[in-house]
Formats: sequence, C-alpha cells, structure tokens
Amino acid sequence: MALFEAITVAQAMIYAALLALMGVGVTLLYKTTKVPNFAHASFVTVGGYVNLTMIDAFRWNPYWGMPVSFVIVGGESLLLFFLVLEPLRKRKSSVALLMIATLAWHITFLGILGAYADSLQTFLRVPTRNVVLSYRDFTLAGLPGIFYISISATVVAAVALYFAIERTTLGIALRASMENQNLAESIGINTTRMLGISWFLAAGLAGVAGALLPMWSLLNTSSGDTLIAAMFCVSIVGGLETLYGAFAGAVILGLAQIVGTTVLANVVGVWVTGYEPVVPLLLMSIVLLINPKGIGGMKVWKRFKK
Amino acid sequence: MNALFEGIILFALELFAYIAIYLVVNEGLNIQLGITGVTQFGLVFSVSGGAFTAGYLATRLGVWIFRINTGGLDFISGNIVLTSEVDTFTQSQPLNGFALLLLIIFAAGVVGAVLGIISSLPAINLRSDYLGITLLAFGEILNTFGTAYTPLIGGPPGIIVPDVWAWAGANRFVAATLTLMVLAAMAYLYIEYVLRTPLGRTFRAIRDNEIAAQSLGKNLPRCRLEAIVIGSVLAAIGGALFVLYAGSVTPSFTRYTWTFIPWLMLLLGGLGSNVGTLVGTATWFTIYDLILYYKYALQGVLPFDVVWLNYLLLGIIVMLILIFRPQGIIPEKPLRTGREAKSSKQ
Repeated sequence: MALFEAITVAQAMIYAALLALMGVGVTLLYKTTKVPNFAHASFVTVGGYVNLTMIDAFRWNPYWGMPVSFVIVGGESLLLFFLVLEPLRKRKSSVALLMIATLAWHITFLGILGAYADSLQTFLRVPTRNVVLSYRDFTLAGLPGIFYISISATVVAAVALYFAIERTTLGIALRASMENQNLAESIGINTTRMLGISWFLAAGLAGVAGALLPMWSLLNTSSGDTLIAAMFCVSIVGGLETLYGAFAGAVILGLAQIVGTTVLANVVGVWVTGYEPVVPLLLMSIVLLINPKGIGGMKVWKRFKK
Repeated sequence: MNALFEGIILFALELFAYIAIYLVVNEGLNIQLGITGVTQFGLVFSVSGGAFTAGYLATRLGVWIFRINTGGLDFISGNIVLTSEVDTFTQSQPLNGFALLLLIIFAAGVVGAVLGIISSLPAINLRSDYLGITLLAFGEILNTFGTAYTPLIGGPPGIIVPDVWAWAGANRFVAATLTLMVLAAMAYLYIEYVLRTPLGRTFRAIRDNEIAAQSLGKNLPRCRLEAIVIGSVLAAIGGALFVLYAGSVTPSFTRYTWTFIPWLMLLLGGLGSNVGTLVGTATWFTIYDLILYYKYALQGVLPFDVVWLNYLLLGIIVMLILIFRPQGIIPEKPLRTGREAKSSKQ
C-alpha cells in the first residue's frame, strides 16, 4: 500500500498556493506597516463571499470573480488603513494597540459577513454556509482545474510582485518606505501612499485566495479565522523580513500538513487527522526556537546575492 | 415575593456571577497586557486549559473525595450517572463541596501555569510582536485536542460536571454568585498587592521602557515569563470557575469570547489600571445586556440573525475606544507607596 497518492500531493500544492497568496500579504504588511495583521482573516473571507455573490447573482464562472475580489478586498483594506490604522499610527500607538485594532476590524467583519451571508440566503435562496463549488470545476489531465488556476495565480503574483518591487520606481519608493520611513519622507516619497499601495496589494491577493477557497475546500464566514494561524505560520517559517520567503513557507506547510498528516494517518492510524490543525503551530514553534528569522532570513541566501 | 422581583434578583445574580468570573480572567490579562506589556493574544489557551481541567477532574475528584464505587463505569460514557452520584453527596456536605471547589481551582491553576510556559516558550526571547503571533496561534488549539481526544472531556458534545454548590438547594445561585464574588475580590486584591511589590514595579518598568529596564539589569524574558505564568494561572482559574458555574464543558472556547472580549473590557476600563479592570468588566456587561435587550426588538425586521450585530457593534466599539479614548474610563495612575503618601501629607 502506498503511503500517499499523487492526488494528495496535488491537494497539498493547491493548499500551498492558496497559503502563499495569503502569507505573502502578511509578510508584506509586517514589513511596511510593522504590524502583524489579524484582519487578513477577514480579507480572505470577504474575497470568498464577493466571488460567491458574483457566482450566485450573475451566474458567473467561479474563476471570473477573482479580479473583482482583488479590487473589493483591496478597497476594504484601504478603509482599514486610512480610517483606523493611520489615526493610531499618527499618535504613535504601540504595536499591541495596532494589532488589537486589526483584530477588532476582523471581528466587525465577522458580523458584517454573517449578516451578509444570511441576507444573501434570504434574497437569492442559495446556500451561503459551508459552500463547496468544486463540482463546478473543470478537469484537465486527471487533475481539477483549481490545481492549475491556483498555482498559476501564485506564480503570476510572485513574478508580478518581484518586478513591481525590484524593477520599478514605485518599487524603489516602496522599499525605501519599508527601510526607513523618515528618510524616505525627507526625499519626497509619500510614505502614506506607499503603505496604502502595499495594503491594497496584500489584501487583494488574500481576496483572490478567498475567492478560490470554495473550489478547493469549503467557504464559511469563519474560513479566514480557521486559516489565520496557518497564514502566520507561513509568514514566520518563510521569514518575516523577506517577502519571498512566504512562498517557501507555504510549500513547506502545505506538504507538512496535507501529505504529512496523510502519511501519519496511514502509518499510525486515522485518529491522527483530528490533530491536523496542530501542524502549523508545531512548525512555527520549531522555526521560532531554531531560527526566528525563518528560511528567508538564513545566511545561506546572502552568498547567492553576492 | 412576586415574580418580577424574583426575576430581577435572578438576573442580578447571573450578572454578578459573570462579572466575577470575567474579573478573574481579566486580572490575569491585565497583569500580562496592561502591566507588563505582553501582547497576550492567546488568553483563550489558558482559559480553556483551566476549563478542560475542571471538566476532566471534577467528577474524578468527587468520586475520590466521597469514596464512590464507580462499578467499572467509564468517566465519559458513565458521566451523567457518576456526576449525579457525586451531586447526591455535595447536596448534604457543604464542606466537602468547598474542598472539591478548592481542589479544582488548585489543579486548574497548576495547569494554567504549565500552559503559560508552553505557549510563550517559542517566542519569549523575541520581540513582542513575535510573541503576540505565537500566543494567538496557540489560542484555540486546545479545542482541537478537546474535540479529537474524547477521553478528556468527551469530544464535541462535552460532559457535565458536579454541582459544588448543590448543598445550597434552591439558593444554589446565591451561594455560587457569592463564592465567585469572594474569589474575584481575592484575584483583584492579589493583583493590587503584586503592583506594590518590587516585582510589580519591574513589570511596569519593562512595559514603559524595555531598554532602560534592561540596563538596570532586569532579565526581560524571565520577567515576561513570570507575568505570563501569573496571568495564565488566573485565567485558567477563571475558566474552571466558568465550567463549575455553568455545570458543563464543551470544546468550544473561542478566541472571540475569551480573548477579544477580555481585551475589550480592559481597553474600556483603562489598560494597566486595576480599578479600570473592575470598572471595564462591569461596564461591558451592562452595555452588553442593554444591546441584548434592544437587539431582539430588531429580530424579524432584519433579513439576518441579530447575533451578527454583536460582532459588528463590539468591533466598532473597540476601534472607537482605540481612536478616541485609548486611556480608557479610568486611566492608570502612578501608584503611591506608603512612604510617599505620608510625605505628601506633611
């Protein structure tokens, strides 16, 4: 008996791709705004429900809603940044208060989403809880469409981010605001706008991940909540200081959680699957104990740069 | 006594009981967050730890104290039978009821201390935001264990626990509320005491200026760990009291109810202020009951479940407090030690 099948690896890759889209945003926001953003949970769920609305109200293909989710969730994050975080930052509030502000934003959206999901159910008469859309997916070479779409979305996001940040003037300004806000301001960079752009991008990517979520597993008003620990794990395992580490972190976590649990379930027993949510936590604890800077922060990479 | 009056009494008793339980938990959060500046986003970890300890041990300890013959019954499948057998003893033996209560509190405290150490270990030496993320990630993990490992508290359906106030009969809720209030007062006075010790002053020095505290030779990770342990013990005791008061336990302790709401209460009252913690807890429950009262008037008018208004309103309230009154209702004041107070009078 094989310990795991090819489809398990495919599932793990989809999970890794979605996690990468979420985790890279957590890292980006940590680098620019210096705040671990708990509202990322709400970005994912809002993205999912925006896409669901498009599917149910306009009979869209599940994949068409991705850009709409990107823009609307990006807009949501701008609201959070300019209405709540900017006033707090101007008063030099501590990181703890910024963190609780993002958590409060997430809780507010838990309410908004709950009310919205109920209303959608009332008016459109469609199920809005535990939504599974994988039956609407196409199949290519024996693998579900989400496999190709999620991985290409992540690759596109990674390449686009790389070029936008490393190769454009905007990217230089963005990196300057990350490194030293005061210095960046003194040479005429509008750092507030730069931060706003980073929030829009980070949240948009999380929104796309949310839009793809019901194609892979299921969508709930608490989906983001369930995934938030995994998002931070991806970010920490990859290294909070390096943007691209999140992609490596996502692959490691995806494989560890899906393939690792399947292998263990086959070896030790099925009861292991009940403890699956513990995997991100263990991984995060191990990385923090051994090398808090994560994979991206390891000295090995510096040699390549030279 | 007419029915209305009786209703008001029952309402007040329950309100005070919940204020007392939450005050114990909130004092645990205040020593960590308000006084030491540890970003404790995983308060629910120790609360659920204490709650599950109470759930796991209450019937077992009862069987041991009253020397009940289990007759080979399992504590999960025979939960109701054994618990009601323990209840028949607590009905007539108040002192043993108290002994059971104290033993459970002690066990929950020990478990809370261990959980506090475990959850902070990976990130205690790192910056406070790393610690915050780790603690948040630990938060709801015990629910996973409570659900998957059925011998603990019977999985998702949960189990019932013996009533340690059964001896009071019809006045059970009076006895329970009074006991809880006494315990909450003890937690309050304990934190007030800690604040006046050198340890408490070190905690606040770390919060106000890490570098200055370090240059005076204070061991930052160690002091943070001490604050986390003290706080987790109190939070776990709060969780155990909640279970004993409610009479049952399920693996459903959420980040919202046991981390976010306590944060909200502290912010409302004033971070770091001990009186503020009390005032914040009491104010929050009053507001909450008002919302609850008016909320159901909207049921049926709105196309959604009014439960969602809770989340919406509380989230907005926190953001408004943070932006417009971050110091809370009763801001923290510098503590006056005995000598200072005397010299200012002269």
